[in-house]
Amino acid sequence: MRTICKPRVSEPRPEPSTRDGVLAATVQCAGRVSLARITVEEVAREAGVSRASVYRWFPGGRDQLLDEAITFEVGRFLSRMADAAEGAPDLSSRLERSLLFAHRAIEEHEVLQHVLANEPAGVLPQLHATAPLVLAVVRDELAGWLDGVALNEGVDREEAADYLARMLLSLVVNQGSWDLTDPAEVAEVVRTRLLAGVLE
Amino acid sequence: MSEQQTLENRLIEATLRCVARWGIAKTTLDDVAREAGCGRATIYRTFEGGKASVLRATLQHEFVRCIATIEDAMRGLDSLEDILVAGTTTAASFIAGHDALQFLMAHEPDAVLPHVAFDKLARVFDAAALFAEPHLAPFLPEAEVARAAEWVTRVVLSYALAPTTLDLRVESDARRLVNLYLMPALLPRAAVATR
Repeated sequence: MRTICKPRVSEPRPEPSTRDGVLAATVQCAGRVSLARITVEEVAREAGVSRASVYRWFPGGRDQLLDEAITFEVGRFLSRMADAAEGAPDLSSRLERSLLFAHRAIEEHEVLQHVLANEPAGVLPQLHATAPLVLAVVRDELAGWLDGVALNEGVDREEAADYLARMLLSLVVNQGSWDLTDPAEVAEVVRTRLLAGVLE
Repeated sequence: MSEQQTLENRLIEATLRCVARWGIAKTTLDDVAREAGCGRATIYRTFEGGKASVLRATLQHEFVRCIATIEDAMRGLDSLEDILVAGTTTAASFIAGHDALQFLMAHEPDAVLPHVAFDKLARVFDAAALFAEPHLAPFLPEAEVARAAEWVTRVVLSYALAPTTLDLRVESDARRLVNLYLMPALLPRAAVATR
């Protein structure tokens, strides 16, 4: 029987005095006050830098901060998802670890849940705008995972990576009838749905 | 169709044309009235509650029309493969060809996404399952039907909202997707192996 590592959910945040630190601070502020009321002053205070530094890094001010903070957080999520799969012995267990991690990371993302509950219209359009990028990143990662794996007759590697990325992200956004906190169910959805047509 | 229904449909069609042109926020009841060639008072008499009520009726109307369009395309087909190809192609074409929806997704996504993203997606799954289950039931073990309907819905939504390598509006693409990826995910392994 395969063992499934407990996915890592918490990860050290970047040092606050860097540009990334300002973006991380913006995310933190978004969880505390409403998006509409975030100010550059507040972000600067949270990051422990001066207002002038924030404007030096983000000349567009508040709007640029919010836009970039969303992309930054999405990027952080994707790299942690890839990390969670690292070291897994085969394609199935990589997918299982990614799903377990990603589902938990979304559920436990206090800022995202806070914003979705209180002002979804303030974040969903920006999140949705990152969708093509997210799909491309996950697809490329999965195409690498499919290297050297025996695929079913007629299955194209890039096309299969695209399909798997779409279905993986669909499950991450909403688990539907699956319990993605349960490793046994995650293994089942990977075996009977995701990989059913893909693997030889 | 009764006179009342004819008037309702005319107002709904007018609303759709206005939303496709200007979006929801910028469409006024005066716009809808002008587009429909009637007075504002007629709208209030037909849809008590004004703009919100017209929009709700329009959404409901378009949902029913979408389901009916897909049902029409699937009528008379007797294999799971053909039903899935017709269903996915028609659903994807409906979504991509819906001017009002496409305008909103491009210019006013905050009017759509809060109703369909993350936990709200459950409602979309439920509605789609209710529609798809009777069409899938003849081909699948009873216990598999609900999850099969959910999987088909996931596939259609993902590809229809952002086509990449496969364009589900194109029948050959849809057939390829159905045969290679979708059917094996719907049928239990043993059933596929013995086909």
